Amino acid sequence: MDVRDKAWYPILYMFVITLCLSTVLILFGSITRQRVKDNERIAYERAVIEALPIDLPRRVSPAQIHKLFIRSVHDATVSSAGALRYIKGDSLIAYALPLEGPGFWAAIKGVIGIAADTRTITGISFYEQNETPGLGGEIVKSEFTAQFVGKRISETSNPVEIRAVSADLDEASVHAITGATQTSTRLGKFMNEQLARWREQVTRER
Amino acid sequence: MMPQKKTQDVVLTAVWGDNPVFRQILGICSALAVTNLVLNTVVMGAAVIFTTALSGLTVSLLRKWTPRVIRMMIEVLIIAFYVILFDQALKAYWPDMSRNLGPYVGLIITNCIIMGRAEAFANANPPLLSFVDGFFSGLGYTIVLCCVAVVRELFGMGSLLGMPVPFFSSVLWDRWIIMVMPPGAFFTLALIVWLARTIQVDREPKKGGVT
Amino acid sequence: MSLGSHMLHLSVILFAAIFTDNILLARFLGMCSFLSVSRQVKTAVGLGFAVVFVMTFTITLDWFAYRFVLQPYGIEYFRFILFIVIIAAFVQFVEMAIERYSPVLYHNLGIFLPLITVNCAILGASLFMVIRDYNLAEGIAFGFGSGAGWMLAIVAMAGIRERLNNARIPKGLQGPGITLIIAGIMALAFIGFTGVLSGG
Repeated sequence: MDVRDKAWYPILYMFVITLCLSTVLILFGSITRQRVKDNERIAYERAVIEALPIDLPRRVSPAQIHKLFIRSVHDATVSSAGALRYIKGDSLIAYALPLEGPGFWAAIKGVIGIAADTRTITGISFYEQNETPGLGGEIVKSEFTAQFVGKRISETSNPVEIRAVSADLDEASVHAITGATQTSTRLGKFMNEQLARWREQVTRER
Repeated sequence: MMPQKKTQDVVLTAVWGDNPVFRQILGICSALAVTNLVLNTVVMGAAVIFTTALSGLTVSLLRKWTPRVIRMMIEVLIIAFYVILFDQALKAYWPDMSRNLGPYVGLIITNCIIMGRAEAFANANPPLLSFVDGFFSGLGYTIVLCCVAVVRELFGMGSLLGMPVPFFSSVLWDRWIIMVMPPGAFFTLALIVWLARTIQVDREPKKGGVT
Repeated sequence: MSLGSHMLHLSVILFAAIFTDNILLARFLGMCSFLSVSRQVKTAVGLGFAVVFVMTFTITLDWFAYRFVLQPYGIEYFRFILFIVIIAAFVQFVEMAIERYSPVLYHNLGIFLPLITVNCAILGASLFMVIRDYNLAEGIAFGFGSGAGWMLAIVAMAGIRERLNNARIPKGLQGPGITLIIAGIMALAFIGFTGVLSGG
């Protein structure tokens, strides 16, 4: 009788195959794990630097980003209300406030930079998002993010309003992304909540 | 020894005669979501080719030992294995692209083309031929998706591979946002299917165009 | 959270999954069987029920697997493989079970079960459950709602296609071509739904 006709054969077979494939995956996973982690870290550091008024060369290596980050970005303190601080020489230039909230598909994580006056935005950058490529995914493009530079945080509950493309803009509003209403709305919601909270806190601490 | 003719047949059938997309309408899910940018489509296509070819090879190698009752599970397992490998490699060595494609790479597992080829071809054919069949089925799929992507990116965003195209990126061209959105994918794909089928029906009037 | 508000929260997730966030027409998952098995209302209903059933149960199983196997050992990147194996195993098991105990049900539902393994909506729903960090009750509500939404869409599509039988359609456009165009129009209509309920 062939072993293949035995009742236990399919179970053993399944087990062996799963074991072989899993071993390869775990091996590959452990080889690349450090690299993946480093990539994520660099993506975060890059986002912080992009949100701050720091000139980033067009082509820049991960090592350079890391060095730049270590040198100029300092940890949050009580008086910065949870935002990282960008210090040049001895003076505080700007804050970098991490943002995080639900997008259309999954969480969006980003950083918004605010000048030392706690009102002028120096930039915004996203380092983790799973929005639809070409639609919501456009939040990472400079066409969208560049709008934020130089805007003034207003004293309302919507510090930076994201408005429909047809609407007029003032110094505290930007245009949404066409065709990505959901992403724009959700981003606007959590960004403004976190920004408003930070504004209250930092004003109190100063 | 496999005859030269057979390989050629397999290639032709996989890419044109039985093209997974316009002949069998398989694997549409991922097609809709990623085809609004050409670059994403190319990488996604590469992932599909990689997975169909290698899973075809593996399924075929194991076909003599695989018990029929758990055949589907083994196939799914093998496919998932290659997809995770690709996903992990992308995360480690091309993080920007990995971020662009997001959850779609994982969904390749359920791309019916791969399962379909494993089930219909690799189960009953020698390894090398299965590899060729998988490779070219994947290629046929990718070619159609690229056509869709070219149309969508050009009309919807006025660019190709991220580079602006003259006229389409100028103010004279009012971007068709609908093209970037999912319905645009349906309409573009429908037109391509229409075109391909019309040509096929003309060539082989007996077979007709019904699946 | 009180029981009342908890139920409200769950029903928001449920209805969002059926209408505003329809997994098929808003997220475009589960397209293959949607296009190929939507020729008749009767078969569409059969497949729809099978999807609701499998989706509700696999999302529950996947939730337990994720919470008690993947997370404790820190091997979340294994979720694709584990989820799909759970789905495949569940489908195979159900197929064997109903074949033995209920030939009538098997006759009506059985042929659809293999199709479900490769229905990306099922895997997609489980992955969304992980991404959105649902608890068990939310997961079940979401799984059931997504299945029901998928069924709604495929039955609607089958209804439209049955009426098209008598329509004169250009030869090359028959079958998949016209179905894609209808799907596009349905998708347009469903885009109008997004944002009515913010349950996501």
